Amino acid sequence: MCVLCVVCVLYFAQSADLTGVRGEESVAVPTPISSQDLWTLLLRRHPRLSALQRRVVLAVRQQYVAIGDHLLTLEDGDEVAVVPPLSGG
Amino acid sequence: MAEEECSLKVLLEEKDREIAALKCKLAQLEKSHAPALELHGKVTPLTPLRAKPALSNEDIMRYSRQLLLPELGVKGQLNLSKTSVLVVGCGGLGCPLAQYLAAAGIGRLGLLDYDEVELSNLHRQVLHGEENQGHAKALSAASAVRRLNSTVECIPYHLQLSPENALQLIQQYDIVADCSDNVPTRYLVNDACVLSGKPLVSASALRMEGQLTVYNYRGGPCYRCLYPLPPPPETVTNCSDGGVLGVVPGIMGCLQALEVLKIASGQGSSCGQQLVMFDGLGAKFRSIRLRPKQADCAVCGENPSVTRLVDYETFCGSAATDKCRKLNLLSRDQRITVKDYKSILDNSDPHLLLDVRPLVEVDICHLPFSLNIPLSNLEERKSEQIQLLQEKISQLKQQTAGDCRPPVFVICKLGNDSQKAVQVLEKMSGSEVDSITVKDISGGLMAWAQTVDPTFPQY
Ligand SMILES: [Zn+2]
Repeated sequence: MCVLCVVCVLYFAQSADLTGVRGEESVAVPTPISSQDLWTLLLRRHPRLSALQRRVVLAVRQQYVAIGDHLLTLEDGDEVAVVPPLSGG
Repeated sequence: MAEEECSLKVLLEEKDREIAALKCKLAQLEKSHAPALELHGKVTPLTPLRAKPALSNEDIMRYSRQLLLPELGVKGQLNLSKTSVLVVGCGGLGCPLAQYLAAAGIGRLGLLDYDEVELSNLHRQVLHGEENQGHAKALSAASAVRRLNSTVECIPYHLQLSPENALQLIQQYDIVADCSDNVPTRYLVNDACVLSGKPLVSASALRMEGQLTVYNYRGGPCYRCLYPLPPPPETVTNCSDGGVLGVVPGIMGCLQALEVLKIASGQGSSCGQQLVMFDGLGAKFRSIRLRPKQADCAVCGENPSVTRLVDYETFCGSAATDKCRKLNLLSRDQRITVKDYKSILDNSDPHLLLDVRPLVEVDICHLPFSLNIPLSNLEERKSEQIQLLQEKISQLKQQTAGDCRPPVFVICKLGNDSQKAVQVLEKMSGSEVDSITVKDISGGLMAWAQTVDPTFPQY
């Protein structure tokens, strides 16, 4: 059975520019969900994020998750972070 | 008798003082004879770094405040003195990093940078001074470091790290610090570190954000494990177009120095499987726990496809520099030069000048008669801005006695965004706004400042 929960998504660096979201965004997400489906869900909200495919770290509760079949159990208020690399120095 | 004794004592004391002064003078002279800093234009073999058998009295005094730390101690200090670190990039990250490594008594510092010092570097690249403008950054950083601690061996390299020289260079150092400013160099340094088995202490910064990770360290991931593909070049923002607050790379470079010192002293880094992110706006740090290296990684995985260095500029689709690329999106008849535009102004030909830079840049400088609509607002078709544009076009049409395609010239800083804007405006012309003839002013306001109006500011 599938439950909805509301997670808090943070976009860093270039992903903040691509989504136009500074700070956090509340997103309703079914749980459990595969990390691939979670990423696809974010892409549907912000199609421009597709430029970052395979070029981004996705983290759930401040832990790296590989984008794939890996099943995530989420709870209300969980933090999801989208972190593309910075290259400046 | 007592009198003679007394005067002899006074004389002796005087002589002792003289001897002490002479010794001091000699020591200073010997120090100033330290070999002159030689700028290396290519990679040459280095003599092995010899371990100190013990700390000298001067070492003990100089490092006393850190020797007191149980985490470092005499053993850690001796370890520092036999460690060599290659600093790739002597900019906003490399300056504070090199400064703290030298101050702490690292044995040998390789300082690599291809660029010369410019005025716009000084707000963040704090080892360089006004008098170093035009000088090689590597040399400028090395002389600053030498002033701080003459016992540290400094090797300045004025060269571009490339697939041809990277392995030979990196193999000669114990730890590599990536302080570079572009994507191809980051992949090059990563692969060279994986291939030569060196820990890579990597930091980066842009605007108000920073990141730090130690790659290829004790089973942790490499840069490619996290980012198998480079970002599309058009989505990469660098410090020269996105801006950066100087203290942000300052903070990240200091964190980098901390991790290098922990590895070099034998303590070990805690960032091998951790991505530390710094948010300067919220003054917050956040760490993401990473996984061990990925079995399917192209370079550090079980069946690597990258077994030698490749062409990283091709791989990334961009040049190994943070200088802006020059786009060429338009045909010749869609562009005019700044000189052509000057004669249009001189002739008072009716036209509209559209400046498509972000407001923050318009505040720095602009031509007084321009209309500002940022490129992003055009792309997103912001209705108020489109309406404003239509009003200006209508006014222009009245001036041009009903010219059915009145001229609109588009300008930005360097002539890249203005070309994109011309493409957007051509799509809008005749449908979303009245028909117009749109042209790009080649080279933008910086070309204007260089060839037409030398009093116009450059940034
Ligand atoms: Zn890897």
